[in-house]
Amino acid sequence: MSSIALPRSEPAAPVKPPRKGLSTWQTWGAILIAPYVLVFLVFVLYPVSYGLWLARHPASYQTLFEDPVFFRTVVNTVVFLLVAVNLKMALALFLSGFFVHERRWIRWLSVIFIIPWAVPAIPTIFSIRFMLNPEWGIVNSLIFRLTQQDGPNWLTDPSLALAMAMAVHIWKALPFWTLILMAARLAIPRELYEAAGVDGASGWQKFKFVTWPSLRTLYLTSTLLSMIWTLGDFNSVYLLTGGGPADLTHVLATLGIRYIRLDQVDQAMATIVVALPFVLPLVYFMMKRLSVDEQAR
Amino acid sequence: MNKLAREARLWLVGIPVLLWTLLPIYHIFLFSISSKDSAFSGALWPDKPTLRNFGTVFREEHFYLHHFWEQIWNSLWIAVAVGVLTLAVATCAAFAISRLKVRGGRMVMNAALFTYFIPAAFLAVPMYKAMGSYGLLNNRWSLVLAMVTLASPYAIWVLKQASDRLPWELDEAARIDGATPLQLFRLVYLPLMTPSLVAIGTYALLLAWNEYLYAFLLLSHEETIPLSVGLAHFLASDDSPWEVLMATALVYGLPPAAIYYAFRRYMVGGLTSGAVKS
Amino acid sequence: MARTVTALVFLFFFGTAAAQETLVVYWTKGFYPQEDKALDDMVAKFEKKTGVKVELSRYSPQESVPKAVAALDAGSPPDVAYGDVFDFQVAGKWAAEGRLEDLSDILTPMKGEFLPITLETVYLLNEKTGKRAYYAFPMKRQTMHVQYWKDMLAEAGFKEGDIPKGWNAYWDFWCSKAQAGYRKKTGKRIYSVGAPMGVDSSDAFYSILTFMDAYGVKVVDDNGKLLVDQPAVKKGLVAMIKDYSHTVAAGCTPPSAVNWKDPDNNVAFHNKQIMMTHNATISIASKWLDDMNNDKLTAEQRAEAKANYYEKIATAGFPNRPDGKPMQYRSAVKVGVIFSNAKNLKRAKEFVQFAMQDENLTPYVEGALGRWYPVKKAAVQREFWSNDPHRKIVHAQFSAGTVPFEFTKNWKFTILNNENVWAKAVNRVVVDKWTPEKAVDEMTARIKQVAG
Repeated sequence: MSSIALPRSEPAAPVKPPRKGLSTWQTWGAILIAPYVLVFLVFVLYPVSYGLWLARHPASYQTLFEDPVFFRTVVNTVVFLLVAVNLKMALALFLSGFFVHERRWIRWLSVIFIIPWAVPAIPTIFSIRFMLNPEWGIVNSLIFRLTQQDGPNWLTDPSLALAMAMAVHIWKALPFWTLILMAARLAIPRELYEAAGVDGASGWQKFKFVTWPSLRTLYLTSTLLSMIWTLGDFNSVYLLTGGGPADLTHVLATLGIRYIRLDQVDQAMATIVVALPFVLPLVYFMMKRLSVDEQAR
Repeated sequence: MNKLAREARLWLVGIPVLLWTLLPIYHIFLFSISSKDSAFSGALWPDKPTLRNFGTVFREEHFYLHHFWEQIWNSLWIAVAVGVLTLAVATCAAFAISRLKVRGGRMVMNAALFTYFIPAAFLAVPMYKAMGSYGLLNNRWSLVLAMVTLASPYAIWVLKQASDRLPWELDEAARIDGATPLQLFRLVYLPLMTPSLVAIGTYALLLAWNEYLYAFLLLSHEETIPLSVGLAHFLASDDSPWEVLMATALVYGLPPAAIYYAFRRYMVGGLTSGAVKS
Repeated sequence: MARTVTALVFLFFFGTAAAQETLVVYWTKGFYPQEDKALDDMVAKFEKKTGVKVELSRYSPQESVPKAVAALDAGSPPDVAYGDVFDFQVAGKWAAEGRLEDLSDILTPMKGEFLPITLETVYLLNEKTGKRAYYAFPMKRQTMHVQYWKDMLAEAGFKEGDIPKGWNAYWDFWCSKAQAGYRKKTGKRIYSVGAPMGVDSSDAFYSILTFMDAYGVKVVDDNGKLLVDQPAVKKGLVAMIKDYSHTVAAGCTPPSAVNWKDPDNNVAFHNKQIMMTHNATISIASKWLDDMNNDKLTAEQRAEAKANYYEKIATAGFPNRPDGKPMQYRSAVKVGVIFSNAKNLKRAKEFVQFAMQDENLTPYVEGALGRWYPVKKAAVQREFWSNDPHRKIVHAQFSAGTVPFEFTKNWKFTILNNENVWAKAVNRVVVDKWTPEKAVDEMTARIKQVAG
C-alpha cells in the first residue's frame, strides 16, 4: 500500500493494518454496508423472486403469445431499440463535439440543453402530446396556416406515432449522453490535437485518429447501457400515445402495465420474463466490462 | 473568411439545437398563460395572455386540483426523504466497500450494478406486488423505499469511484493516530466527498420528484399521491382543462430545473465521474 | 366499588372494541363535486346510525379495478367495492371465479323495487358452484345518447326538423350536408361526427355495439352460446363495421378519433370541433349544468354554460334502425361487489343495504346531474327526470325498454370488451385499411378463442 516512510509516534492503542481483518474495522464495514444489503434483499431480491414465481405458469405465456398485441409489441420494441438508441448516440457524439467549442454562447446553450433531462417527464411529454394533436396542436395549425393542407396524423398513424415516441425519447435522453461523451472528450489531452494540427490533419482526420480511438470504448459501452435502459423506457410511449392507436405502439415496458390494468398480473410478469433473454446478456456483458475496468486499476 | 465560415457552421448547429430543446418547454409556458379558446386555436402567442390559470392552480379551484397543495407537499416530502435516505445508505455502503475493504464488498457492488442496469420499468410490477404483500401500498414509504432502491446503486457506484480516488495516505495517517472507523468516516471521508455527496443527493431527489410510474402503481389515494400522478389524472377529465394542466405542470417542473441549475457544477462533475475512467 | 371498576373495565373494552369497528370501502371518484358530496353524506349517515367507522377510498374509473385487485392479492380486500367499470371489466369474471359474496339475502327482498333489466344483470354465474345468484349490487345505469350543437346546426343552415329519421339518411345528413354547410359558412376545419374509436375507450365499444344493435345482430344467445358463425350474423357484423368506420374515410370524423380515450369525444364536443357525437351518458350536457352552478367561475362563464345547457346543446336518441324499426338501446348497469373473503361481511352487507335505500341512493344518483339513470322504480318517478330538457329524453329512452350487454350472458365478453376487439376491428379498417370482411374475420376468430 503506502510506500512513504511515516514518522512513528507512540500509538495510543495497538494499531494493526486492516488487511489482517481487525474485528473493529471489519465489524464497522459490515454495519455500514448492512443498510444497502437490507434494501437489496427486501426490495430487489424478494420482489424479483416473487415476480418470477408469479410468472411460472406456462399458460400465461401461451395466452401472451396468442394475444395479437404481443407480436406487434416485440417488433416495436426492437425497432425502437435499434433506431432510437443508435440515432441518439450518434447525435450525442456529434453534439459532444459541438459543445466543447469554447464560446460563451455555447456554454450557455449547454446549460439550456440539459433542461429536457432535468425536468420531469409528465409536463414535457404531455406538452409534446398536445403540440402534436392532429386537430388543434400548434404543429398542424402552423402547417395549415402555411400550406392550407392538413398536417400529418402524428399520433394516430401507428408508424408516425412510434416515430414520435422515439423522438420524445431522444429529446429526453440525449442531453445525458452528450454530457458523458463531452466529459470524455475534454479528458483527451490537447497536445494530441495540436500535434495532429501541426502534422496537417484535417478536422475529420483529427476525429478519426485522435478523438475516436479515445472515445470508442466509452461510446460502445454507452450504447449498450442505453439499449438496456431504453428497453425500460415506459414514459416516452405511455405518456405520448398510451400505446395507441389500437395498442399498435406498445413496447414491452408498457405492455406489462397494460396487463396490470386488466387484472392479468401473471401475464404482466410473463411479458417481463420474455424480455429478460434480451436484457440479461446485455447486463452481464456490461458488468463484466465494468469489473474488467476495475481490475485494470 | 475561414473564421466566419466556422462560426456560421457553429450557429447552424446551435440554433436548431436551441429550438429543438426549448420548443416543448415554451409550449408548456404558452398554454399556461392562455385562455381555453386561444390554447386550442393553435396560436404561437395568446392574444390575451393571462395569469388566471395559475390562480386556479394555487386556489385549488378546479375539480382535479382540490388536493394540489397536499400533492405538491407529497412530492416534496417524498423527494427529500429519498434524497436523504439514499445519501445515508449509499455513503455508508461506499465507505465500507471502498475504504474499509469489507469482505463481500465486491459481491454487494455487483448486486448494486445489476439493479442499476435492469430497467426500472421491469422492476415495477414485482415491486408493486411485493409492496402489496408488505402491506405498504398507498403508504408514502412504499414509494420512498422503492426510489431509494432504484437510486442507491448508481449512488454507491459513483461514490465508490470518487472515494477510490482519495489518497490512501490519509487513511493510514488517521489509523496510525488511533482513529476509529467512525472518526475516519466523519472527519476525513465525508468532508472530502462533499461535492460528490451534493451531486448524488441532488440526483436522488430529482429522481424521486420526477417519478411517475412507481408513484402511479404504489400510491392511489388522492391525498397520498405526489403531483406527478395528480397531473396524469387530468387526462380523465371531461372538459379538457389543458391550459390549467400546463400551468400546474409548469409549477411542478420548475423546482427540478431550478435545483439542477443551482447545483449544475456538482452534477456534471459528480455524475460523469461515474462513467468516465480518467 | 369493585363492581363499578369491573363495569368500567368491561365498558372500556367493549366500548373500544365496538368503536374500533371499521368498514373499508372503495368507491369511484365522481365527475362532479355533488356526487362525491352525496356519497360522503351517505357514509356519514351510516356511521352515525351504526357507530361503524367507514374508511372510504376513492379511485378514478380506470384505477378502480387494479386497486381492488392489488388489495385482493395482498390478502386485505376492501369490504365493499364499487367501480363504474366493474360491470364491463370484472364483475362477471369475479363471480365466475367464486370470489364474490352472494347478496341474495339483501337483494331478493327488494326485487319488486327494481326496474326491468337491472337486477337481472347481476344474476351471475358462479362456475365453482355451477349456480347463478345475485353476486353484485346494482346502483345506477347508462345508455347511449346522441348530443349535438343546435347552434352549429343552425350555422350550417339547417333546423332540427331537417334531421332525417331513417338510419342511412341520418348519417348521410350529418356527414355530408351538415359538415359541408358549416365549413362553408365559417371556414373552420371542424368535423361533424365524433365517433369514438379508441381501443383504450369504453365509449368506443359501447357505440360500436349500439350500431350492432341497430343492425339487429346478436353474437350470443341467452345461454351464453356464441352465434358468430351464423352467416346472417357475420353479414350483419360486416355491414355494421363498414358503416361505423366509413365516416373517417368520408372525412367527417376526426382522424384522431382512433386514439380517443373516454373523455376525448366530450373534449372535442366542448371545443366545438365536432358537431355531434354519440356518448354513453349525457355527461357532455351535464358538464355545462355543473359549470352553471359553479361559483368559482365568472358570471359570464356561468351565463355561457347556462346558454349551452338549455339552448345550444340537444340530447337525442338514435335514428330508426336500417330495417326501419325503432332503435333499441342497450343499457349497462353499474355495480359494486362484496368479496367473499372480506373482513367485515356483516357490516358490508348492512352498508350495501343502507346505500340501496331510496332515500340514500337517489341523492347519490341525482348528484351526477343526469349522467346516471336510476335502477329503482321510485327514483324515476321524480320530477328530476321530467323538468329538464336533457333528462327528459334520457327518461324517455329508458322507459321504452333496454337490452343488456353480452357479458351478462357470457362473462368472457368482459375480456373481449377489455381488449376491445370491436374497436380493434374498426381500427383495422380505418388505420390498416383492411376490408371489413377481413377485420370481422379476425374479430370473430378472437371472440371464439376467448369466449367459445
